[in-house]
Amino acid sequence: MRGRPWLRVASYNGVAIAVGLVIGLSVVAIAGGNVVQALKSFFITPISTTDSVGEVLVRFIALYTIGLGVGLALKAGLWNVGGEGQFLIGQVMAFIGVLYIGDIPAPLHILLILLLGAAGGLLWISVPTILRTKFGANEIVITLLFNIVATFVVLYALNGPIQGKTQSFGFLLTDQIPLNLTLPILIPGTRVSIALFITLGIAIAMYLLVERTALGLRVSTVGESTETARYAGIDVTRAFVLVMIVAGALAGLAGAMHATGVLRVLDTGELQPGFGYLAIIVALLGRKNMIGIGVASLLFGYVIVGAQDMAQVVPAQSGMIYAMEGAMLIGVSLASYLLTRRGSA
Amino acid sequence: MALLPLLLYASLGELVAEKSGVANLGIEGLMLMAALSSFTFDYATKNPFFGIVGSLAVVAALGFVFSFLTITLNVDQIVAGLGIYLFGLGLSGVLYAIFTATAGAGAAGVPIVPKLEIPLLAGIPFIGPILFQQNIVVYISLVLVPVTSYLLTRTGLGLRVRAVGENPRAADTMGINVSRVRYFATMTGVILAGVSGAYLAVGYTGSFQLGYTLGRGFIALAMVYLSNWNPYKAFAAIFVYDFVDSLQSAVVINTPALESSSYLLALLPYIFVLVLIPVFGRKARAPKYLTIPYRKD
Repeated sequence: MRGRPWLRVASYNGVAIAVGLVIGLSVVAIAGGNVVQALKSFFITPISTTDSVGEVLVRFIALYTIGLGVGLALKAGLWNVGGEGQFLIGQVMAFIGVLYIGDIPAPLHILLILLLGAAGGLLWISVPTILRTKFGANEIVITLLFNIVATFVVLYALNGPIQGKTQSFGFLLTDQIPLNLTLPILIPGTRVSIALFITLGIAIAMYLLVERTALGLRVSTVGESTETARYAGIDVTRAFVLVMIVAGALAGLAGAMHATGVLRVLDTGELQPGFGYLAIIVALLGRKNMIGIGVASLLFGYVIVGAQDMAQVVPAQSGMIYAMEGAMLIGVSLASYLLTRRGSA
Repeated sequence: MALLPLLLYASLGELVAEKSGVANLGIEGLMLMAALSSFTFDYATKNPFFGIVGSLAVVAALGFVFSFLTITLNVDQIVAGLGIYLFGLGLSGVLYAIFTATAGAGAAGVPIVPKLEIPLLAGIPFIGPILFQQNIVVYISLVLVPVTSYLLTRTGLGLRVRAVGENPRAADTMGINVSRVRYFATMTGVILAGVSGAYLAVGYTGSFQLGYTLGRGFIALAMVYLSNWNPYKAFAAIFVYDFVDSLQSAVVINTPALESSSYLLALLPYIFVLVLIPVFGRKARAPKYLTIPYRKD
């Protein structure tokens, strides 16, 4: 086992998904759905058409972009549980960018929109970061609180600054982003945009940063022991601030890319995708390794598309997705127990 | 006095668990499962007390999973806690949707725990109705503050709970069964989180929705931290928070002009907590072995 890390990672992912699937199927059964059909939805649908493969990639992009930041923070021993909120604020900022930036060439405009999204995520993580580094507060509780605060901010924005001209049956939503301001589509017939290249580019940069630079080594040292890091003369606070800023900015960027590349419209239904929480799962499953996180993100892109298709027979679909995510995290726990036991024996 | 009991139960329970070294991040999920199950049991039996008791059984089962994972299997408390949170959030939403689909629109409200008027005292103008015209669940939550403090600081049981949170190795050497004490403290927290959720559904509103607790479980976690793990200070922080929250709702309801910014005003209580953290959290000192599993070897 020890000599084959990929086997370790694979079994880790497998246990997590299996636990999630069992819960998902149980819910389908309780709701009176067809379990065999549900299994087929889960495994076959995501790879059945170009469109659905595209949907897998769309989720991969969002998960990987957020997950890279969560993974980096974990390397330094910090938990960014606020990816959900930062992602939402990134989306809101993207719409603000669409509506409130004047007449400039479209490519430049798109770039500014993406930067605004990243800035939004950064802003959203700044308060938890300050409370953590200056006051020693627990970043987990505070980033979680900021997720809830973010949902109120989205509701406010949908009611005011980014409210659309057309309203449908009292549902709050924005106007559609004009085509010239959306990210160019990469694979025709899908929603996969050039965001795919942006994400892969960031992933390579992050890999090199973590594995090949002194900065990456410093971050890992801090994560292993702040005491050791201090003895080695590493500025722990600076390392904390750095990883949190990167984590927030990436989650915000992911939100902006999702808004301009995929959704084009924001409504209250989009408050509940759960990408921020899933990003924690993929960061843990990828074992904080920037490439491992990518593999886990792709796998989970597949899992979400399958789960969403499976959830169609169940009322309250977002509830079912959340329940499956929770079960998968419990699966991650179980897998970590099984693997550490095996490793130490 | 709307949210006071809700936050008191959840915070006091979490406080006890954390004193023993176990941080349960999943209380929000437990509260939601308790709220949902108390609501359905209440609907089925038309008795809110059966609702509460039934919900505690459900929550105890889920809480046991968390305790087993973190105390017996020594897995990461944060991962397991987040799992319980998302699981409870999702499952309660799905089950409620299934429930309304079968029970129909008639299931909008259920009977709530009756108010218990304390003779004479309830007649005091203004504060009488606020303090002495509440239901039994509210009174118990208030009594729980000194009781928790007394048990933690003045009894052998409390000493053992604190010992396994501060130095489990030493506690073990002294002959204390670390995992048994942690199970006790964690399950106490789980049950109280259950009462908190059940109070919301059948002790206060008589209804339920997806994500009904609105992150109050996380507020409770923040309150424990703000209180520096002291039940009286937790009460004080929650009291002020509840005041800000009630004031905010009163302002929104009574000023139609503010309707468009009602979502921003809804943020006030949360911002209030965030502002208090640097002020009071500065001197906070967590139990030394909080979130650290104990391996006996």
